[in-house]
Amino acid sequence: MAAIASAPRRDAETSRFRSRLVTFALVFPTGLWYVALLVAPLLIVLVFSFGIRARNGGYEPAFVLDNYVRALSRPEPFITSVQMALAGTIGCLLVGLPLAYFIATRAGRRKGLLILLLVVPFWTSFLIRTYAWLIVLGPDMGLAGWVQTLTGDDRFTILGTPVAVLIGLVYGYLPLMVFPLYVTLERMDRSLVEASKDLGAGRWATFRQVTLPIALPGLVTGSILVFIPMMGEYVIPQILGYGKTYLMGNALVSDFLENRNWPNGSARAVGLIVLMFVTIATYLWFVNRGRGSREVSVL
Amino acid sequence: MPGWAGRRSDVADQDLDALLARMARTKVNRRSFLAASGLAGTSAFLAACSSSGGTPSPSTATSQAPSGTAAASASATSTAAASQPEVESELFMYNWSDYISETNRDTFKERFGVETFQYDVYADNEELIAKLQAGASGYDIAAPTAEYLPAMVQEGFIQKLDLARIPNTKHINKSFKKLWWDPTDEYQVPKDYGTTGILYRSDLLSKIPASWREFYDMVKGEASGKTVFVTSQGDVFTFPLKMLGYSLNSVDKAELEEARKILLECAPHLLALDSDTYGDKMATGEAVLTLGWTGPLGQELAPLVEENKAGYVVPSEGTLFWMDTWVMLTDAPHPNAAYAWLNFIHEPEIQAEETNYNLYATCNDAAKEFVDPEILNDPAIFPPDEVIASLEGAQDTSGNTQRSDIMEEFKQAIGG
Repeated sequence: MAAIASAPRRDAETSRFRSRLVTFALVFPTGLWYVALLVAPLLIVLVFSFGIRARNGGYEPAFVLDNYVRALSRPEPFITSVQMALAGTIGCLLVGLPLAYFIATRAGRRKGLLILLLVVPFWTSFLIRTYAWLIVLGPDMGLAGWVQTLTGDDRFTILGTPVAVLIGLVYGYLPLMVFPLYVTLERMDRSLVEASKDLGAGRWATFRQVTLPIALPGLVTGSILVFIPMMGEYVIPQILGYGKTYLMGNALVSDFLENRNWPNGSARAVGLIVLMFVTIATYLWFVNRGRGSREVSVL
Repeated sequence: MPGWAGRRSDVADQDLDALLARMARTKVNRRSFLAASGLAGTSAFLAACSSSGGTPSPSTATSQAPSGTAAASASATSTAAASQPEVESELFMYNWSDYISETNRDTFKERFGVETFQYDVYADNEELIAKLQAGASGYDIAAPTAEYLPAMVQEGFIQKLDLARIPNTKHINKSFKKLWWDPTDEYQVPKDYGTTGILYRSDLLSKIPASWREFYDMVKGEASGKTVFVTSQGDVFTFPLKMLGYSLNSVDKAELEEARKILLECAPHLLALDSDTYGDKMATGEAVLTLGWTGPLGQELAPLVEENKAGYVVPSEGTLFWMDTWVMLTDAPHPNAAYAWLNFIHEPEIQAEETNYNLYATCNDAAKEFVDPEILNDPAIFPPDEVIASLEGAQDTSGNTQRSDIMEEFKQAIGG
């Protein structure tokens, strides 16, 4: 009897052990990846941020807060970065939402083609695409030249201004906004819109009360996906902004390479990470609170 | 200057790889870290973190296979090395991309029986130091810029040279001897030098600036919105500090404060801060003045230089000069081959070939008679004596926070 009773239990134990082994085997590579390439570097940056600059540059172990004091006393790149990233995110939303809406609801058979067209630019190097904007916006045969001829003002320029950086940011990160939006809108039940219209809501009211809340998760995901990389953007301000829009990425390059002051750079990097956490946490909190109250009102 | 055009057509005959390597070698690109710095920074950081890696062999890095044109060595005459210890059959060099003449490389291999001449490249001084800090070894020779020497000596990366084995250093002009970075001349042999100055489009300006003072007035005047500064801190500070008559390496609070005011005054008038593509901006006329280096003269601006529409001037108040140096690494596995190279490269005719090849001024007086007159008479490459007297070597001031703070404020002010 005992033998018979224990057999299934042992089987269960074995299978539980096996499933744990499988889980471990599946998680291990990812875990190793994260620890080696995410956690460890972050810890190094954190440790460096309390150090001092060695005589010949680099890092010397110490425990001082000077780097943070200095980082806080020079907040301008932080502020400029937040402003640019916010403007860029809003820009992506303004362009991306109608685009995603169109592809999801109106494109019909051309849906696949349009999605493909969104992906195609990724086949080319980001650097080359950014350089291409030099021509598109430039004074020779680009937008600036066109406006110059039109207005007769030959000082008119787009390149080298924050506007050029903004255009580059929106262009570069647009797909990251469109895809999550597209996915949520594509799964939307169209009959909800019809129901809304049947119940007397106008187009705008339907969009605001039905479509937008449904698209919200995609909107949040897309915003976060574009906001974070925009905060650390370095190439676009350098090329399209002619190095004149000084963002966090540019400040970090100066700290690490030009001044060889790794602790200073690390402190600013930590500041950037904290800032990112706070911004996103606030954003999520804000969005969730909004959603909560709306659900209540619906009830 | 037709000489430039001549060189350009030479370039056109080479294959694309050689052309790209050549472009990458120019001072513009190799002194700047803009485009590549994202990557370079990462790799330097990784290299610095992976010190456990031990000894990466030189062959793991990017290397250029020496091309065999043995005919060139026919002109070689054996003068040195008779009394020297036997030269090893290998030499491992770590250098800027495409920075020595291939003819000379072949001559050297032929004459000293060196079979393997390994040539690995770094993008900037930071990368060289980062690699050495991470424990890279196996190299015999490197070519850092002089202001990095004290740090390399302190860190124990390079060794003292036995000057008796490099008799050809007698040809070195005394202006380049006993300078602050190596007061006893024991750690390096000068390679070549150049300056920071003003690139101009004479066809688009009413006059050519002769001094930093005139440059300053033009930046705020007719060149407003059409002036570019390169990004590197030491070069940017050269302009206000030399204009005011101070040392360009000044770390004096009051002097830097004066320099700060001038920079902030110029900031709204700048078109760009750009070390990579200012040659293009000058070529299209989008920029008419640049605080920069001579690199674009032989590249983007070459056709304009030939038509006397563009040029380069060393400001009369004096300016910064950089000097690249040959050094021997502490653990050089082939010291005899390294000494043979150091002496060989300063033989007058060999050295002249270097100058003709890479268009940077030589510190070697005896070599000048063999340098192409077009190059020798180009004041952008070989400044006249009175200009040389006004030049000042860069010091490593990267640890001064006042300078870096001013630089950051300046960059922000440009954004406006």
